[in-house]
Amino acid sequence: MAFKAISIVVARCLSSLELLFRLDRGLPQSNLRLVVDGLAGALAIGVVATTSVAAQEKPNAVGLGIFTFTSGPAAAYGMPGKNAADLMIDEINATGGIEGVPVSATYVDEAQGAQGVIAEYRRLAGDAKNQVMIAALSSATCLALAPLAEQLEVPTVGWNCDTHQLLMDGKSKYVFRPNGNTVPEFIAYAIYLLDRKPDVKTVAIINPDYAFGHDAAKIFTAALKALKPDIQIVAELYPKLGSPNYQTEISRLTTARPDVVFSNLWGADLENFVRQATPRGLFASSQVILALGETVLQRVPLPDGVIVGVLGDGWWMSPDAKANPETVKFAEAYKRRFGEYPVFPAIKMANALIYVKAAYKAAMQKNGGKRPTRAELADAMKGSKVATLTGTAQTRADNDGLVDQIVGVTVKTPAQQFPVIGDMARYKGDSLMPQVGQDPLAWISTLKPEFAKSLPKPGSYK
Amino acid sequence: MSNAIIPLLLDSLASAALIFFAAVGLTLVFSVLRVLNVAHGSLYSIGGYVAASICLFITSRQLNPYLSFVALLFSAVFVAAIFGPLIERSLVRWTYGKSEAVQILITFGLFLILEDLQRVTFGVQSFYEDAPMRLLGTLNVGGVVYLNYQIFLIGMALFVVIGLRLLINHTRLGRLITAVVTDREMAQSIGIDTNRIFILAFSLGVFLAALGGALATPTSGIAPGLGADTMVLAFAVAAIGGLGQIEGAAVASLIVGVARVLAIYLVPSLDAVAPYAAMLVVLLIRPYGLFGSVTARRI
Repeated sequence: MAFKAISIVVARCLSSLELLFRLDRGLPQSNLRLVVDGLAGALAIGVVATTSVAAQEKPNAVGLGIFTFTSGPAAAYGMPGKNAADLMIDEINATGGIEGVPVSATYVDEAQGAQGVIAEYRRLAGDAKNQVMIAALSSATCLALAPLAEQLEVPTVGWNCDTHQLLMDGKSKYVFRPNGNTVPEFIAYAIYLLDRKPDVKTVAIINPDYAFGHDAAKIFTAALKALKPDIQIVAELYPKLGSPNYQTEISRLTTARPDVVFSNLWGADLENFVRQATPRGLFASSQVILALGETVLQRVPLPDGVIVGVLGDGWWMSPDAKANPETVKFAEAYKRRFGEYPVFPAIKMANALIYVKAAYKAAMQKNGGKRPTRAELADAMKGSKVATLTGTAQTRADNDGLVDQIVGVTVKTPAQQFPVIGDMARYKGDSLMPQVGQDPLAWISTLKPEFAKSLPKPGSYK
Repeated sequence: MSNAIIPLLLDSLASAALIFFAAVGLTLVFSVLRVLNVAHGSLYSIGGYVAASICLFITSRQLNPYLSFVALLFSAVFVAAIFGPLIERSLVRWTYGKSEAVQILITFGLFLILEDLQRVTFGVQSFYEDAPMRLLGTLNVGGVVYLNYQIFLIGMALFVVIGLRLLINHTRLGRLITAVVTDREMAQSIGIDTNRIFILAFSLGVFLAALGGALATPTSGIAPGLGADTMVLAFAVAAIGGLGQIEGAAVASLIVGVARVLAIYLVPSLDAVAPYAAMLVVLLIRPYGLFGSVTARRI
């Protein structure tokens, strides 16, 4: 026990060595990080080894490390995820836990930055009670944690993790993403747009200035160019993440007079953009696409006809969701507890927990009812096909997920006080994904207009 | 691009007005107290939170919507009355005459406390109340729709520059402040209550910070993290204009506003660095800022 405690403390201290002693002077930072990570990883592996026997005993609780943003501007997206996790865990525990063992979650705030998140991950991984990490929201966090997950051999489920770069090498054993990624998510918008507005000629883009924004712009543009080569990109703006004011950007977009404005702004940024662009007529002068628009439907008055989606199938009012009593129950319970219906980050988190629960059950069935090891859990996740609240999450050979993509437009309905998504298309998850090991951008460039014609049309998903 | 000249000009002025409100309080406090208040950005965002809360209350109670304009001003007065004397007496006064490092450490600690206080009080979701903006309507300039509220902000910024100059040059308080700024010991020796001047000057700085946040609320969201961004921008503006120079802050705001807007229109990838590139250029040519000097100190 003493060795375990000392190891955890030393592992955490090592992660801070760079800051404490300025060790980065004279050493390439990446090399230093490798050394520090290696030492800390070795210590944490030692911790895991000393507790492997205990892993087989009847546990008091199934521990989960859950990584999301609970502070800062990104909390507007991260808190619905945490709320959903709280609700789902309470529901799971109220019905006897997972195979009779209650679930216990430890939350980690991603707003503390990569160094802090990595230290927290190591600390949680050092405790054998924590069988699975549900990490994370930010693509940057996911990319930082993925090598650690492999090194420490901890099953890590990306509950959001949009970046297509996460599992591109196809070698991951412990990192899973039961979601779509930036490739299917943003190709879906290009296809939907060209179906709905085939005469589009000019497009302007306003995305956040980091990997998610730039990747989305690259994929959306590549898909548009492949499917309609004469399209012109007339403005590309990348305001800083967390920017409160978009007035100049709105002027710039208006002066470019594009047929279409595409954006994957999110959280408070998206709310601010919508509130500032609406009175200035941007939604009237251009067809606007808000890739994460569903997250603000209940909070800001979006006009009709804005193309929005859920970066996956996590729309709590989709026909599939409404037909599932569990989803209806979850949505109503969420509304009672948190005052609004679950936006898609909440559904993504709930689906991630369902995915983990299914892996536990599958692993225990396979090993004769004993508590599964981390390796057994990872095995159970490989190639799994899990029914979620809103569809199916299928895990490919490269551990990436196949999840359908729902895109539609905002419409008013007498049933709700806020706009909902209508005229929907639901694209099959595998139809918008390159094959395992295939370069996504190279694959997108091979798409032909005939490919788009073979896919569902707007309004076909009822 | 020619059809973008008028929008470019208007955007520059509107952007400069918002930047000016973020920076003028910081520069005023430095000019009188010689204290670099790192917590300035937090006071800006607290002003925004209070204004948004009061405006939301007015809207929810269906009171006269024009009261929201009064609420913007009242929230700044409220924040200044509470936080100004409290912070100056409890923390800032211990830093007078101390090194800049001590001042920065103490006010940075205060910044962290105020940021957490906002998170605990107002939560992590963004705050937004646009009643004042909606009341003023819109204006079409060359095919681009502007908010009349943006024009109102430009007018308010001019009003504050002129008002501060009148306050300092033509009122008794202004002359007392000038005396303290010019020679603190001499002012004390002729019977000026410098402690009172410090409280008033610091509270005026807090008022200007909170007013900036309050005036920004109807067109910008208020969310955790705004304080840090505001602080960094305010320091850049103060450095360009010359620390302690009110007119310098106004001109620097215009430079930063133009730099940002030009970047967004012409080289969007440089948007984030434009204010700091402008600062770098100015400081390379004039290390003490446009209106600053090595020996003389004016307000």
